[in-house]
Amino acid sequence: MRNTILEVRDLRTKYITRFREDIYAVDGVSLKIEEGKSLGVAGESGCGKSTLALSLMGYYFPPLHYTSGDIIVNGRNITALDPDTTRKNVLGKEVAYIPQAAMNALNPTRRIIKFIQDVIKAHIPEMSKQEVRELATERFRILGLPEKVLDQYAVELSGGMKQRTVIAISTILSPKVLIADEPSSALDVTSQKMVIKMLRDLMEKGYIKSMIFITHELPLLYNVTDDIMVMYAGQIVERGSAKDMVFDPKHPYSKGLMGSIIVPEPGTRELELVAIPGTPPNLKNPPKGCRFAPRCKYAEDECLLHEIKMKTFGEGREYRCKFSIDYLTEKYNNGKS
Amino acid sequence: MSGYRKYFTKKILWFAVTFIVAVLLNFILPRLMPGDPVAVIVSKNAQGMSESTAVIEMYKQYAEEFGVNDPMIVQFFTYFKNALRGDFGVSFSQYPRKVSNIISEAVWWTVGLQLPAIIFGWLIGNILGALAAYLKKGFDKVLMPVSLFLSSIPAFGMAVILLVLFAVKLEIAPTSGGYGFDMIPNFSWSFIRSIISHYQLPFWSIVIYIIGGQALGMRSMSIYELNADYVKYSRFLGIKDKKIVSYVFRNAMLPQITGLALSLGVMIGGALVAEIIFSYPGLGTTLLAAITMADYPLLSATTLIITMMVLITTFAIDFVYGVVDPRVKAAQIDS
Repeated sequence: MRNTILEVRDLRTKYITRFREDIYAVDGVSLKIEEGKSLGVAGESGCGKSTLALSLMGYYFPPLHYTSGDIIVNGRNITALDPDTTRKNVLGKEVAYIPQAAMNALNPTRRIIKFIQDVIKAHIPEMSKQEVRELATERFRILGLPEKVLDQYAVELSGGMKQRTVIAISTILSPKVLIADEPSSALDVTSQKMVIKMLRDLMEKGYIKSMIFITHELPLLYNVTDDIMVMYAGQIVERGSAKDMVFDPKHPYSKGLMGSIIVPEPGTRELELVAIPGTPPNLKNPPKGCRFAPRCKYAEDECLLHEIKMKTFGEGREYRCKFSIDYLTEKYNNGKS
Repeated sequence: MSGYRKYFTKKILWFAVTFIVAVLLNFILPRLMPGDPVAVIVSKNAQGMSESTAVIEMYKQYAEEFGVNDPMIVQFFTYFKNALRGDFGVSFSQYPRKVSNIISEAVWWTVGLQLPAIIFGWLIGNILGALAAYLKKGFDKVLMPVSLFLSSIPAFGMAVILLVLFAVKLEIAPTSGGYGFDMIPNFSWSFIRSIISHYQLPFWSIVIYIIGGQALGMRSMSIYELNADYVKYSRFLGIKDKKIVSYVFRNAMLPQITGLALSLGVMIGGALVAEIIFSYPGLGTTLLAAITMADYPLLSATTLIITMMVLITTFAIDFVYGVVDPRVKAAQIDS
């Protein structure tokens, strides 16, 4: 059996708004990632994907607050550490983050190498500038980034180059877990490919031990990650291997998400575009029972009464729905004919 | 790099064109004022003379000396040629003193008063603004309205308030002048003490005025930078707060450099108010005197100095920005 690198148990985090309302954007998430594995997180905007990414860092600042649950990285519970320790020993070193908007992620008035020096100095103060440069040069070379980027400013780089530089900086200390929050969403296809290739390289060469990849582009996940998890309204609604999730989703929400993928092939124009009606619920007052019920076409009155627990089925698959797998499969098949 | 050089070559050309136009305007505008300054001087010197031919003769002689009989264009070239050599002619109002002489005496009072006041006010304003953005809460809630209040009082208002309060009511500072009226400039202790006590009110009136505006600007720039994406990202990389704060304030400071450079550029024009209210013997007072006496040579020279300072500082800002801010440099190369 492989080592478990990251284990999250029933994590809850909330935003406190200006009007002192609590919004639980991550509401009881549990997950486990083994060494060398990657996990994709999918969902619509406003489902708590990005908040999950921030919450997994174990370091919280307003308006995000930690409520309960554990994050165990390589056997150490980082939620139990005090914030300063987390910052010094965990962030960037054990758990690294790639932000959604890499365009503005770099300090515009600092050369890349200086910034890398600042990052390393915060964790390994005894490392000399010369050593940092050697490390950065080598890492950039292996990851296929030009060495001259080190002496440039962020404004001098193109969007794709900036994103790849950010990835190289985030992983410079070989973290155990890499959390990538939509790292390729704002890029053209060529740059997207390069970013994906880079993330794969990092995994293959062992610079990172595991990865969580957050995106709303599902076809991308199928190509990048081993497992996929679908989030809705702060909760996980279904989890399984990438293949199963894309070709055989069970939860009505996952089903809807997969059905909304637009594939550019002949006849796409004539196809009727399928979308899930409605929008994710306001998490200030989430529905009491199944959170998807108000938008679900199979929902019954009973769905809204009780909270629904995750159920396991098949090989390592889980889903959160009142109905049985057989019932859902039958419904889907009827819908087709 | 060649784009960068091209940018500055173009800048220098514009600088030269602006300079020539400015000299021309500085020359023409005062001369369009109504009134005959030669007549004023003659009437002053001719007091007690009864013979009109002698007075007319005297008028002709002065007109000849000042060259006011020549056509305007000839006057301009004479003026321009002399100005390049640092000779601005003879003052009308303080005849027969040379303009360059009057200015070189007054300019040190102005620089001595304004330069420290502007830099000090700018520094304090920026520190306060940055602290307000960083500490928020109570500090911000007090500083914000106070700064708004201070920066919206006109400069002369602040000067008059200080004058009434400290010089008239409390009598802890003198009301006017650069030093005691009964003293002769020398290097004695009592003279230096007198200079310092006369320095306080004009100095603080400028400082307080500058603090308000700078603090407001710095506060909003810092708040903007503190919420920038790179701050969040740096935090998640584990970089220490102290370091991140240094990023933020460096970046927030950059637009503030413009404010500093511009107030240095308009130093003399800005000095008018404080200097006139406190009768400080600087260029501002000189300028006012020149205007009221229709003293063209003095007026032209003073306004030329103001123009030059604005030109030089704006040029310097451009250059300094290219060095300290890679974003600006990139934009300069592009243009």
